[in-house]
Amino acid sequence: MSVRTLLERAVGTVERWQVLDAPGYQIEHGVSLTFLLAGRYARPLQDLLHGVWLGHPLHPVLVTVPVGAWSAAALLDGLDATGRGGPGTGSAARTVVGLGIAGAVGAAATGMTDWQHAHDEARRVGLVHAALNSTALALYAWSFADRGRGRAARARVTAAAGYTVVLASSYLGGVLSYRHRLGVDHSAAGRSPRTFTPVARLADLPDGKPVGVDVEGVPVVLVRTEGAVRAVAGRCPHLGGPMAEGWLHRDELVCPWHGSRFDLDTGEPAQGPSTAPLPCYDTRITDGAVEVRRRARWRSPTAITTAEEASR
Amino acid sequence: MKADEVLIAHHDVLRGLLRELAETTDAQADRREELRDRFLHEIEIHAQIEDELFYPAVPDVSPLLALAHAEHRQIDDQVATVMRMDVTDPEFVTEVRMLENTVRHHTMEEEQRMFPQSHALGEERLEQLGEQLRARQQELAESGGMRLIIRLKRATLRSV
Repeated sequence: MSVRTLLERAVGTVERWQVLDAPGYQIEHGVSLTFLLAGRYARPLQDLLHGVWLGHPLHPVLVTVPVGAWSAAALLDGLDATGRGGPGTGSAARTVVGLGIAGAVGAAATGMTDWQHAHDEARRVGLVHAALNSTALALYAWSFADRGRGRAARARVTAAAGYTVVLASSYLGGVLSYRHRLGVDHSAAGRSPRTFTPVARLADLPDGKPVGVDVEGVPVVLVRTEGAVRAVAGRCPHLGGPMAEGWLHRDELVCPWHGSRFDLDTGEPAQGPSTAPLPCYDTRITDGAVEVRRRARWRSPTAITTAEEASR
Repeated sequence: MKADEVLIAHHDVLRGLLRELAETTDAQADRREELRDRFLHEIEIHAQIEDELFYPAVPDVSPLLALAHAEHRQIDDQVATVMRMDVTDPEFVTEVRMLENTVRHHTMEEEQRMFPQSHALGEERLEQLGEQLRARQQELAESGGMRLIIRLKRATLRSV
């Protein structure tokens, strides 16, 4: 049996493990209550941990700290155990194990915040990922304490065990990103339409209520407010929630699934869990018809108009 | 009554309370407090009977459970926002409207998608489940423990 098959089988087992759902929701309730205790800071705190300010998830950034530090610790432990490290190796190992522990706490906080909103299979994989990481963290904490007490040999064994658990868990982390696409932009808006395309009659759009339309197979949401029409992508960047079923709150469009809020002029997330912006469309009204065109993020709208129109 | 009928009847209560709350004026502070407390009580009961009885019964016939949980979470967070506010706050109605929209979307999702899927459980099972839901709802409505939990929750939310 190939490595690939073995791993696929193991991950598949976790994904189908429905008994994890009940404890998973219990844990989420606990996390949710903890955040509620932060009062009005609950939202800003979660946005900070999601990485809304950064433009992509903060979790993978912090994960590099424990993985890197503990890799260095493994090397130093190896040198120390074989007597090739020279003086100070044991102490250096202790320092990097400690750095890894600090980083792991940050990674756990951000990971837990993102995990709250995962669904089904991803939620189960995430729970096992968290359980493995917690085990590794406990092993490293024990190892760290042993290093302070001069139990160097035992400390190296627990660190090695912790490292093995971290590797297994990292694989699951990869599954969450690359297979379940957690943290990945789900808006999938593409680049069309590149020229203004009629999508609705202005008279048919109610004021202040989002309306979903289909533009060349891509869902787009039109929002009419006080005569002006703004258009954004129909799928939430966070997990693909249907934005046309959302609603306006303080002139922001709210995703009906997890409550991300987006600025209608810029598409920027005003509130997480989405860290990516909602793609925007330029709009214009011609003879009562609402026309939209995909707004390029990497060039100004006028630049693309001139270049595109000239080439036609 | 079948399970979905019991839940829809309770949805109507929840939506009705929010509609009333959103239509109050700043001068009706006492009425606002009262409606807000009643809503908190009802939504806690509703979430509990769904979590305890209805959701565990449908995973084989509906793929929408994760969404339902996500939406409960969103409602919970917004309830907290509304509970924290002073009823005379100029933004009070805006936040109530936000809550109303959140609840409307969630109940619509259930009534138009999940409940029809739940019909696959069969008439008999739905009747039986409906009876359980109604009994539990009644029990929680009269429960002193539930009232205590809600009072604690309200006090905690207001203090932070």
